[in-house]
Amino acid sequence: MSIQLAKSLKLQNAKTWSVDYKKAHLIDCNLLAVASADHKIKVLDIRDVDNIRLNDVLDETVHKKTIRSVAWRPNCSSWTLAAASFDSTISIWNKEEPVVDYNDSDADDVYNQDEMELLAIIEGHENEVKGVSWSHDGMLLATCSRDKSVWIWETDEMGEEYECISVLQEHSQDVKHVAWNPFVNVLASSSYDDTIRLWKEFDDDWECVAILSGHKGTVWCSDFEIKEVEGGISRLCSSSDDGTVRVWKYIDDNDDEYGQQEWICQTILPKVHERTVYCVSWSENGLIASTGADGKLVIYKETDEEGTWEILAKHDLCHTVYEVNVVKWINLNGTDMLVTGGDDGYINLWSVNT
Amino acid sequence: MSEYINDSPDVLDDDQLPSRQGDGSEELLAGFASKETLHRKKLLLRIDHSVKSQLLQNIEQLDKLLSLNSPPELVSDESTEESSDEAASEGYEEDDEEVDPVDTQEIYDLTAHIQDPEHPLSLGQLSIVNLDDIQVRDDGNPKNMAEIVIRITPTITHCSLATLIGLGIRVRLERALPPRFRITILLKEGTHNSENQVNKQLNDKERVAAACENEQLLSVVSKMLSTCK
Repeated sequence: MSIQLAKSLKLQNAKTWSVDYKKAHLIDCNLLAVASADHKIKVLDIRDVDNIRLNDVLDETVHKKTIRSVAWRPNCSSWTLAAASFDSTISIWNKEEPVVDYNDSDADDVYNQDEMELLAIIEGHENEVKGVSWSHDGMLLATCSRDKSVWIWETDEMGEEYECISVLQEHSQDVKHVAWNPFVNVLASSSYDDTIRLWKEFDDDWECVAILSGHKGTVWCSDFEIKEVEGGISRLCSSSDDGTVRVWKYIDDNDDEYGQQEWICQTILPKVHERTVYCVSWSENGLIASTGADGKLVIYKETDEEGTWEILAKHDLCHTVYEVNVVKWINLNGTDMLVTGGDDGYINLWSVNT
Repeated sequence: MSEYINDSPDVLDDDQLPSRQGDGSEELLAGFASKETLHRKKLLLRIDHSVKSQLLQNIEQLDKLLSLNSPPELVSDESTEESSDEAASEGYEEDDEEVDPVDTQEIYDLTAHIQDPEHPLSLGQLSIVNLDDIQVRDDGNPKNMAEIVIRITPTITHCSLATLIGLGIRVRLERALPPRFRITILLKEGTHNSENQVNKQLNDKERVAAACENEQLLSVVSKMLSTCK
């Protein structure tokens, strides 16, 4: 098994902080949103590795500082994107999905005129917003900040109005990242306080239902397994400043204690990284990818025995000597690939060959 | 910042700071005029504690005027202070960068002249940055990653400006060095009450990036770095 560079694109002279991927419904294209330190958000249209075009650069006057995180809204027919910035705000962008594909004759002009429009600016956090994530039904948005809080916002079908339904303030330090479970409304938040907290609605209020402790440094990122578990919650993987990637497993509900859940650290993945692991991503086929400050990209596979993992492939210096901030699985025409973004301002596409 | 928390730190004269041997800096510093003016400046600083003092500025002006009649290598005291640094870095640039590893002296030269945020003295003079507390792992190849660990010694154990000093060092090194370097900045063990807290903050990439977008903070850092070149 090997990881091979399929495409390398320099997008800007500033750090690439975040990417998110969405498959269009009506036309056959893959959208990649890219957030960077130069206050810009770009949308790439990827047909295959040799047919990538810059679809849109969103209005760069909207945010005054670094864009730290971007997320496409799932379960909605239009293209809606949320972006979190160090300027303490979150922006929501929207565009109706084009019905005419530009790959069809003469459609080019129509397609290009149609830019993503600013739908809303959400204010509330005191300082840098670091993470943004949509619930699986697209009706809830979670955001987190250096102000130590996680906010949950409820929206409507149109995605124009955002009402804060809960402010979660139990982390003792910056909250670095938020991630929703892909099947049930359980939220994971990762923090500079070295823990992950899990949140769930209970008696009309959002409660912290579990604290995952074990990492010996800032937790930078987490991602849920894409596997529906009847009556339960799928597993969570997390990455940290301590150089490890961990997998956490839901065990049971403690019925009488305000919806508290029991989670255990099921395993620590074989250690490869030498520095901070900034990002992890769990594929639909059950593989975990991780990357970080040491520039390594690593893919792990679970053996037949649950909880036992092996290294499937690794690649050094993914963005030459630069740090890599983000990794994400994408599915391109039926094939699983990886996208990475680094401090060099590039995004790289990787094919995983058997 | 107007009152000094530490009124009488042990101050090193600039010519006592470690420098690369045999690069010509000794000869430059040995010049009578420059050494004398340097010494005078240091004495004045101890009396007045401020580079902004009228007396000091007048004398500097006088030195500059006098130096116009001096031989070319004996320039004003201000630039003489930097002479060992410049000589070292010029020597470096002339070499083929591809095969020349960065060493501890080079990192020292880049950071020792940063101005302390509360004293009108450099981090080298206050022994906040020390040559022995710098580690470098670098093979000189721009295609490989390299590593720097620098341990700083705050002047007092509750120094509230330790984070700012660390940030100044990080910004200086990130701007001056090629991208292959991973820089770790730590407080020297036992030198600060909230050592772990400060260390964590100084090495959190996201916090550093956000700090560098804070104009107020950035202007303080720029002032600290204005004494480098």
